[in-house]
Amino acid sequence: MTFTTRIVNGKVYDPMNNIDGEIRDICIEDGRIVESMPDDASRIDAGGMVIMPGGIDIHCHIAGAKVNAGRKLMPEDHRRDPHPETAFTRSGTGGIVPSTFATGYRYATLGYTTAMEAAVPPITARHTLEELDCTPIIDKGFYVLLGNNIFLHNLLREGRHEEFRQTIAWWVNATKAYTTKLVNPCGDEPWKGQRNKNITDIDEKVDGISPRIIIEAFVNAVNAMGFPHPPHIHCNNLGHSGNYKTTLETMRTAGDQRLHVAHIQFHSYGGVTGKNPTSKAAEIIEYVNQHPNITCDIGQVMFGNATIMTADAPLAYVLRGFNKNKWVNADTECESGCGILPFTYQEHVYTHTMQWAIGLEMFLLSEDPWRVILSTDHPNGGSFMNYPKLIRLLMDKSFRREEMGRVNQKAIAKTALNDLDREYTLNEIAIITRAGPARALGLKNKGHLGPGADADITIYDDMDDKEMMFNAPRYVIKSGIPIIADHEFRGDHTGRLLHITPEYDQSIEETVKPFFESFYSVEFGNYAIDDSYMHDHEVIQTTKTS
Amino acid sequence: MSLKLSLHTKPDVPLEAAVICTDKLNGANETAIAALTVFHGNDQTALGEFFTVKGQCDGEIHIEGDLANVKHLGSEMTSGKMIIEGDVGQHLGAGMSGGEIIVEGNAGNWVAPEMTGGRVIIKGNAGHMVGSAYRGDAVGILGGEIIIHGNVGNELGSAMRNGLVVAGGNSGDFTGVNMHAGTIIVLGEMGIRSGAGMKRGTILSMHNADMLPTFSHACTYHPYFVRLYLAYIKEQGLTIDDAQLVGNYQRWVGDAIELNRGEILLYVN
Amino acid sequence: MITMKIKSTEIVDTFAEAFKMSGTRVIITAATKQWAMAAAQSMTGFATSVIGCKCEAGIERELNAEETPDMRPGVSVLLFAMDADGLGKRLVERIGQCVMTCPTTACFNGLESDTTAIVGGQLRYFGDGHQIGKVLGDQRLWRIPVMDGEFVVDEHFGIQDAVGGGNILILGKDQKTVLKAATAATKAMCEIDGVILPFPAGVVRSGSKVGSKYKSLIASSNDAYCPTLRTVTGKSLVPEDVNCVLEIVIDGLNEATVADAMRVGLHAAAKPGIKQLSAGNYGGNLGQYHLYLNKILEAS
Repeated sequence: MTFTTRIVNGKVYDPMNNIDGEIRDICIEDGRIVESMPDDASRIDAGGMVIMPGGIDIHCHIAGAKVNAGRKLMPEDHRRDPHPETAFTRSGTGGIVPSTFATGYRYATLGYTTAMEAAVPPITARHTLEELDCTPIIDKGFYVLLGNNIFLHNLLREGRHEEFRQTIAWWVNATKAYTTKLVNPCGDEPWKGQRNKNITDIDEKVDGISPRIIIEAFVNAVNAMGFPHPPHIHCNNLGHSGNYKTTLETMRTAGDQRLHVAHIQFHSYGGVTGKNPTSKAAEIIEYVNQHPNITCDIGQVMFGNATIMTADAPLAYVLRGFNKNKWVNADTECESGCGILPFTYQEHVYTHTMQWAIGLEMFLLSEDPWRVILSTDHPNGGSFMNYPKLIRLLMDKSFRREEMGRVNQKAIAKTALNDLDREYTLNEIAIITRAGPARALGLKNKGHLGPGADADITIYDDMDDKEMMFNAPRYVIKSGIPIIADHEFRGDHTGRLLHITPEYDQSIEETVKPFFESFYSVEFGNYAIDDSYMHDHEVIQTTKTS
Repeated sequence: MSLKLSLHTKPDVPLEAAVICTDKLNGANETAIAALTVFHGNDQTALGEFFTVKGQCDGEIHIEGDLANVKHLGSEMTSGKMIIEGDVGQHLGAGMSGGEIIVEGNAGNWVAPEMTGGRVIIKGNAGHMVGSAYRGDAVGILGGEIIIHGNVGNELGSAMRNGLVVAGGNSGDFTGVNMHAGTIIVLGEMGIRSGAGMKRGTILSMHNADMLPTFSHACTYHPYFVRLYLAYIKEQGLTIDDAQLVGNYQRWVGDAIELNRGEILLYVN
Repeated sequence: MITMKIKSTEIVDTFAEAFKMSGTRVIITAATKQWAMAAAQSMTGFATSVIGCKCEAGIERELNAEETPDMRPGVSVLLFAMDADGLGKRLVERIGQCVMTCPTTACFNGLESDTTAIVGGQLRYFGDGHQIGKVLGDQRLWRIPVMDGEFVVDEHFGIQDAVGGGNILILGKDQKTVLKAATAATKAMCEIDGVILPFPAGVVRSGSKVGSKYKSLIASSNDAYCPTLRTVTGKSLVPEDVNCVLEIVIDGLNEATVADAMRVGLHAAAKPGIKQLSAGNYGGNLGQYHLYLNKILEAS
């Protein structure tokens, strides 16, 4: 179905095109934004409303084997939050980890139209693609986990860097991924192979290689191949006090090449391992401010229920000791590990308040909103359904002060939050939720409203209470299709997979194959996902530089 | 006068009738009650399609007929009394916080899950998961009393944190599995793996039982508090021997894989 | 002034001045009546007067097995103090030291009241983490591991307003006669439920008045009734021919039961050789309750 319309009278926030709250017409035709259209086209009167591109979540966990394990782990969470069908949309279950359908619809009800699943072991890519296909409305892609991959480790150990690069390209093609993801590189193998062991230093050697060697190799390879989004890294020592040094070293390892640091809040802690953390938000964000090659998302912690869901298996083991609740830990063949557990961030707890405050500090100290992107690492820091509240925390100083009064005061006193009076503008919010992630992801048709852009548009009522405003857009248009109008679902849409197809030398398969035959549970011939398997998808071009 | 509901048409598939509850029917007239929504499978239909409605609810409801396929009766009940003159289906009194439900016949699975108060009395037998947590939840009933005169199925009182659950007859396997606290009394025999994963709480049985290896025998003694409980359930019409009242009990402590603070007391004949 | 007589005994037209106190009832059960009584006697020891003991306590009566919560023989004890807080502290001390220590006992609340003191909830810490709480209906119990098994004690004990210091004075010709009359009176008064006689065997000889010539003393000997001082103080209330005076003090859960106890006591004490029956008061300004002997006797 095509939909042609002109949106009139709305205040447009399109930072990519330097439009900051001007009243402009937006014309939509065939799923794209166009320069103009005849006057007799249908109109949406957006008087008193705010128009933004559809939101883009650069880092979340919404599909795949671990997400599904998270769902199975918590039937009680789903029972309490049913997601009923409407005339246009299907039913599902909500909670912290919603069902696939509810995930898509709930993103849409916040005005988000693109979301990237941030951690998929290659072997579960097929499962992930099926789930993403059942995640309606939004466009989506995923980052494939390669940082704890034994085969790649072996290549690095032997110094076979060209084959390493070819294998990455092969693996990204084989899985239909969007970029590579590193999670606690080098950490899973000691955990899986030795009793409860984790890596604690970026230069610690495991069988001849260290996290730094892996990070460097990935940064070099991915940048050389010109992936639209650089390696997406979850640094070593997540959550441990004193980990900010590791994070700084990780960013330094990238030199001036592009690197995306995921949920950076979890990696900005001072203090001594095993003791209460202190805030190193200023140090970390200072480095980010000074280095335009670095992008990051915050991974803000929001009070209330969350689900820890990570490929960082040793971390999950540590956390499971805190609340003695149910948990899952898994070994994903030669590729990764995994840990899942329900978690609750509580206002009165020192560490939780510190995490909350560090995230906010980083937002408020960020000098380049284009590179410091909003996320809660859904569902790790809290559900993406917290985004409106987070936006209000950033935009509304008095609300922030009010919330600060309800949390652990000992922790707050140790942060700079009391001295930070910054309030985000709507334009800056449009950057950290739309334009910024689009640029970081290299999505040229998203995150803006210029001609040729995907017609992914959100129209909010302009309200003083920003939480209410961002909680319920009046209109959501996805690929030109009206999904939500007057706060009600008016349409459905499948959304498409965003992935890349970097070139590689096919002969690399002969190198990879013997490893599969020796160590995998899956035949090499059955492993790669062929194109016939794909549903609606879009290939984003790589820009090869060497 | 009290309200009387008589089943005139037996449902083919389970009828979800959470509306049949004193709190929801108090004061309503017959026509209004007959028009209330119930789900017959996934069909939305009216209560009157299955029940003849007589009288008005003044805190008391009498229900008659074979209700074995009628679910969720008395869900979320807070006060009043429901008397069911026959068998009843699953999820009876789910989440109830007060009032009393008396079933003259047998009850299905999931009697009073997540109850916080009130009392359920089943004169016949009951199914599995009596007074338990729903799947995924760590905590079952938080209070109240469930008294089954007959036999019960597996996982009696699973994950309960407080309250009293009594089986006059035998109980199935996993009696008191994962219980946090509270009291379970089984006057008959218990199945296997009683108290598996229990943290605290008391399971009392009048018969010897197979103990898990994670339970240890502490002593044989006469626990005075048992007298209070036995006297209490005797008043509820269950049969207690004087010998049981004054007798000795083996105290088994477990589950050692958890806190090791729970106990299973077995009457020594 | 005498306006009334029981047989030959004159009833002085005066009143007993009683005080508002807080009272509670404790039920002690044990394997045998003897062990329950041992605990009760220990618990009610050194509890004659709030002046020196911080509380007044006594055994109300023995209980049959059918009457107790755990269907074992028992004893009910009444305990009184000047306020609810103090009473709670005394309960914790006395149940902890005298009942918990006594073999086979259990200890239950015997008074339904909206005001309660936490007792088992304090004593449970003796269990050092091994105590077990149980809830049965509205009752919350603690099971504290002890060397003969478990000590079971209620979490809460009910507290209500009570009446302390009801009394009668027996004035007779000699010690032997007055003792006999007092013993008869206490025996009759013990039949009344809801009262106790806190003094040794229910009788006190060192009746007191408020104040003293010594500044540090708040009470001193009631010289008006000391026969040895009949001609000394000038305010003596001891008639000629009276050579011994004894007092019976009554604490009860309410005014009516105290009055009942005084009435049966007066009747039982009115024997040949007892010249007068009277009551102690402080002029009526200190106590909240004025129990007039004439009215009490007329009410029967």
